[in-house]
Amino acid sequence: MIYIGAEVIVSPLGDSVEANWEALSANRSGIALTPGAGFGGEDMHLSKIAGLNGPLRFQQLVIRALSALAQQVDRSILASGRTIVLISSTKGELDDNLNDQFGGACEAVMRQFGLAHYPMVISNACISGVLTLNTAGNMVAAGQYEHVIVIGCDVASDFVLYGFQSLFAVSDKPCAPFDAARKGITLGEGCGAMLVSGIKAVFANSPLELLTGTSANDANHISGPSRTGEGLVRSVSRTMANHGIDIREIDFICAHGTGTVFNDEMEAIAFDRLGLPDKPLNSLKGYFGHTLGAAGVIETAVCLQMIRNEMLIKSLGYHETGTSKPLNIIRENKPEKLRTVLKTASGFGGGNASLMIRYL
Amino acid sequence: MKVITAYCNLRADECLVNGELVARRDAGSEDSWFKQIYRKQGLTYPKFYKMDVLSQAGYLASELIKRANPGITGAYADDEIAMVFANASSSAETDRRFTQSYKDGGSPSPSLFVYTLPNIVLGEIAILNKWFGENMFAVLPNFAPGFYLNYGQILFGSGSRALLGGWLEVTANTTDVFLFTVEDKGGNVEFNRENLLRLSQAAAQVTS
Repeated sequence: MIYIGAEVIVSPLGDSVEANWEALSANRSGIALTPGAGFGGEDMHLSKIAGLNGPLRFQQLVIRALSALAQQVDRSILASGRTIVLISSTKGELDDNLNDQFGGACEAVMRQFGLAHYPMVISNACISGVLTLNTAGNMVAAGQYEHVIVIGCDVASDFVLYGFQSLFAVSDKPCAPFDAARKGITLGEGCGAMLVSGIKAVFANSPLELLTGTSANDANHISGPSRTGEGLVRSVSRTMANHGIDIREIDFICAHGTGTVFNDEMEAIAFDRLGLPDKPLNSLKGYFGHTLGAAGVIETAVCLQMIRNEMLIKSLGYHETGTSKPLNIIRENKPEKLRTVLKTASGFGGGNASLMIRYL
Repeated sequence: MKVITAYCNLRADECLVNGELVARRDAGSEDSWFKQIYRKQGLTYPKFYKMDVLSQAGYLASELIKRANPGITGAYADDEIAMVFANASSSAETDRRFTQSYKDGGSPSPSLFVYTLPNIVLGEIAILNKWFGENMFAVLPNFAPGFYLNYGQILFGSGSRALLGGWLEVTANTTDVFLFTVEDKGGNVEFNRENLLRLSQAAAQVTS
């Protein structure tokens, strides 16, 4: 069995997973209006971590998250030769060193925590986080490593904000995933971390089970979602089939839900095709913004928290059906015992990935 | 046995397929090196001109590999060919150009921005070939055979039946591209550390 736990979230909602859970259960968002942040000096909604300024923000966040994770696991695994750290990120420390966007952070983390192996960076746009968790599960299952620490991190930068502005993909209000009035993304920053391991005893708190999933390309467009949801359908159906999971067993879907018109429509079509439109579903982008390479890790960490706390969290920003295929979007927090949850991600380059988490 | 069935090396001034020189850079040409290869090889995919250097490199090398190993496209279902690529500089060259687009009074270029992710080259190859399989892009300090071997083991163990692997380091000063296909069939070039290292450094065979 592949275990997953020791989840950490560092975000605008707080420095610890407890602080983040408290904010989520109060439906508090990290998104705020940032005067003059946009290209051309427009005010922009962003989900930014207060006090995270100056150089080496990426490195600071990764170290903060790994320090918090170290408190929740058998400390000796960090320096073990049977442990590897995987970092999921799109732009890393681009603001510090455009030509080497990950080397500085990898070296700093290796030195500070005495890691036996140089961390491996996975950079697959917005599916990076889910893909990295799947890679971690597969590495453990194949016996390549005993423990894999997954860290997903991205910081908000002018580079990325201006880029999404140039695509007219940024919402002028806090993002509203799946809502009829959605207008685009809100950029966020944050870091999530988790341990994936084959050994239950190394977790301080009970872990959950990772049902490792698959990814599939849309083979459609480098920056536009598929009209048919083909890649997402293939990824989810294979992930479920590989574990012999029937759609009746899925209790909740944590979708990607960026808040752009075409992405959310694509996801709705895919979940409809998969026979999953009635499953309680949310997007967490209304709380964290879109944290790109961190999103899949942060959102999976929230899934673990939802299972542990037996609570469905409302999809913030959603009011009215805004997709051609209606979904069962969670409108209010609701106590619910969750056994099997599905997490999905889709992104630029046509990538789609999914995984499942099961209560133990 | 998993064997390397074809490979392509694309360097600063030569392009090799299965160790044979197929193009040499003409320093006097007004065309970029990648455009020279595209023309000389008679390729026709107008989208090539829109791509950034990373995607152009991946496109060229994968097309040349397909020519050398034409059976690969028909032998597998559309989701059975996985791609696993890596490099050291992510999309730094395009990132630099995008940054220039909005500094000094310009405005951010959307056509550059969409290429500021290293995995876009995987998307381009997937679109061209209608491949719905697994994709992975890693950023590593150096070309590391162990990365392809380990992730290859995972992919072959989870439904993929062929692999297009790639190291694509393309910056203003460097062109170091090595793409290869791995399949489960007869052959004498086993998919292992020694062969990956040797083929990544393949020298052009001298033909008279």
